[in-house]
Amino acid sequence: MTRIAAVGGYLPRFRLGADAIAEAWDRYQASGIDAVAVPDADEDAVTMAHAAARQALAVADRDAGSVARLHVGTTTPPLAEGDLMPRLCSTLGLPEGVMTATHTGSTRAGVEALLGGYHADETALVLAADCPRGDPDSRLGQAAGAGAAAVLLAPEGGAPIVETASHVEAYPGTRYRPPGETETRELGVRTYERDAYRETLSGAIDRLDTAPGTVDAAALQAPDGDRPYRVADALGIAPAAVEAGVRVAATGDLGAASPVFGLVAALADGVDRVLVAGYGGGAGATALLVDTEDPVPAAVATPGPEHLSYTAAMRRRGAFGDADVAGGGAHVSLPSWRRTLPQRHRLEAGACRSCSAVAFPPAGACQGCGATEGYDPVTLPTGGEVVATTTIHPGGAPPEFADQQRRGGVYDSAIVAFEADGGRTVRVPVQVVVTGDRSIAVGDPVETTVRRIYTQEGVPRYGVKAVPAEPTG
Amino acid sequence: MREAYIVGAGQTPFGSFPDRSYRDLFSAAYTAAVESIPEPVAPDRIDEVFVGTLGVGGRQIGLAGPAVATHAGIGDAPTTRVENACASGGSALRSAVEAVRGGRADLAVAGGVEVMTDVSDDVRRWWLGVSGETEWERLTGATFAGVYAQMASAYLDTYDVDREVLSAVTVKNHDNGAKNPAAQLGFSCTLEDAETAPMVADPLTLYHCCPTSDGAAVALVASEDLAGSLRDDPVRVAGVGAGTDSVGVYDRATLTGIPAAATAADRAYEDAGIEARDVDVAEVHDCFAIAELFAYEDLGFCERGEAATLIEEDVTALSGDRPVNPSGGLKAKGHPIGATGTGQAVEAFKQLTGDAGDRQVHAADRAVLHNVGGSGGAAVVHVLECGP
Repeated sequence: MTRIAAVGGYLPRFRLGADAIAEAWDRYQASGIDAVAVPDADEDAVTMAHAAARQALAVADRDAGSVARLHVGTTTPPLAEGDLMPRLCSTLGLPEGVMTATHTGSTRAGVEALLGGYHADETALVLAADCPRGDPDSRLGQAAGAGAAAVLLAPEGGAPIVETASHVEAYPGTRYRPPGETETRELGVRTYERDAYRETLSGAIDRLDTAPGTVDAAALQAPDGDRPYRVADALGIAPAAVEAGVRVAATGDLGAASPVFGLVAALADGVDRVLVAGYGGGAGATALLVDTEDPVPAAVATPGPEHLSYTAAMRRRGAFGDADVAGGGAHVSLPSWRRTLPQRHRLEAGACRSCSAVAFPPAGACQGCGATEGYDPVTLPTGGEVVATTTIHPGGAPPEFADQQRRGGVYDSAIVAFEADGGRTVRVPVQVVVTGDRSIAVGDPVETTVRRIYTQEGVPRYGVKAVPAEPTG
Repeated sequence: MREAYIVGAGQTPFGSFPDRSYRDLFSAAYTAAVESIPEPVAPDRIDEVFVGTLGVGGRQIGLAGPAVATHAGIGDAPTTRVENACASGGSALRSAVEAVRGGRADLAVAGGVEVMTDVSDDVRRWWLGVSGETEWERLTGATFAGVYAQMASAYLDTYDVDREVLSAVTVKNHDNGAKNPAAQLGFSCTLEDAETAPMVADPLTLYHCCPTSDGAAVALVASEDLAGSLRDDPVRVAGVGAGTDSVGVYDRATLTGIPAAATAADRAYEDAGIEARDVDVAEVHDCFAIAELFAYEDLGFCERGEAATLIEEDVTALSGDRPVNPSGGLKAKGHPIGATGTGQAVEAFKQLTGDAGDRQVHAADRAVLHNVGGSGGAAVVHVLECGP
């Protein structure tokens, strides 16, 4: 069977502190959570999954072309219907023959995705990403965080999954979301909900041969910072093991990503035996045990963190509704958008077949020599240098970016020079995601990332943006 | 080659006129141009009509030329709409000059018109945005102010120029605009006003950006024989040049100038048989303050990176050795897109015929018009001279 060969994680830059929530609502219902991660205005489950995947693939030093399967678990797919896997495959550069599976409809979906990839027994990339929402004055709404985890399963991996188990028990009305709604609910029948969580999780964990008390870390589904400790106590798992596998205090409720992110964090810390257990309302639980033989390469990207005011956090989540833009926006038809996906998703440039100059986008006559002989694909590095930049101030965005600006405030629009092989540089226009005091200037290094560019006709369009390069050394 | 002369020119004030249609504005400019000629000119004398307009808001995407020409009572002369974004007016003038030079017309109308202030900010930004590079540049969230601001960032960095010089350009143009009754923003401002205005796209503040405007402007271009019979002091179109470049800034040879404008200037100077130093006065395309600095360099008024000196030493002030934008420029006079290029011709015609009132440039015999489309995808330069 395949084993865990590498793991990656991603948390958005922004945090909303418990004190800010308590001040806004005069009470705090997300016990055991110090701060929740807040996605940026242009982030969603797809972009966060991409970010985590890039961490895992980079640390595995593996070509995306070797991945045979992609399994993604999330309760917040940006489209209720419409396959998002092909776009993730495209942004990550996975082969077109990759088998894909989407697991959704339950916070258990992240562990289900991991199990799905594991049972397939071929090189698989498993991604769990989520940004749940709830009524802001509810336990679920105040606990809601955002983040993503990636697990690369391959024959040569250092950490085998030694056993798996599942348990279902009908508990209607526990953590659910009616059709067409964006906010997840729970009824607030506390004992009933705690019983559902405890009985199903324990049911799955009890089916494992391994005694739960023997694990070094317990990556349990963590809707808050309270319930995992209670169920662990009942199962004989030490608080230290829960601490090693549950990161909810610093991230908030990561939904389907919660237990997988806990696994990634534990492996990144060098923990050997990790119990992973996901739970979803309804109710069901899935558990598995990882027993590390050789250290697993791991990387978790946690830019910031930067704390937001309550208002700013709500703005970023879009709690004040969408911008009402008159007249529409610049319309790039979807067929013409699709023709340029290698450039939008992977910044694929081209070398002129006549003079070898690098062009972006690689189309039309070469601006260097005027030839129309076409281009050979050129892969650009992920790092580039800003050669011109401006900050688009509030109210100044083009209509199709009004919504992003309404949520996220100012952004930078820049021209970035990338150096291809042989010292050939090419300039590319990109938006730079700036935050706080981190505005950029000519000469600054930036790194590419994938974010939502904008949404038109209800279709989110993803593409390359840049973020200021993290200081090195 | 036949010579072409401007024999009359007129415009509406530039500003916001919710009571007037684009056809009405064009008619008023046409009438003013005809009435600026001492001898009466019947509409049936006109052989060709060229109308520059972008059509902001989509009010008349097709056949905007015939719509305004018939409304103005020009008759059935062949009419062609010319579109080169903000260089539409200059391109219409160039077409009229070429029609006369080539012998197809003895009298041609070069007109431009735009109405921009009767739509919401969203709609206006939409229309302006799709005149830039739409599929890549625009989709970084850039506006025209944003794209010029990007170029400004590169220029200020490359030549180590202080940002404040942008405000000095604004102050100069507002001083001139305050003397122009047709100006939209005909008031003076201080350096501090410009420096402390709200930021639009760093480093450009609101005062570094031209307004959006309604207005129309028309120049009448005649052959040598006809010109002499219509007035004693026709203005000769000594040189015409135009240039083209990538629509997106990122795809050009340089970020610190407008190559198409430099090309257009070279061609116009060669056509006129002059050099940059022979120019007495210039109307340049200062859509953003940085663009006027680029114009100085692209027109050869100074070396690359030296434009700030011309501002700091008052060379381009109304009283300087080579006044630039005596009209107030796009910044103060206004920028009704399709009318801007022909509006420059109206100002130069007034300057060269001694009819510029309080802003008359002393001993102005040769003027240059510099009209740029978008952020530099198109550019047109004309050289105008007094006398035969």
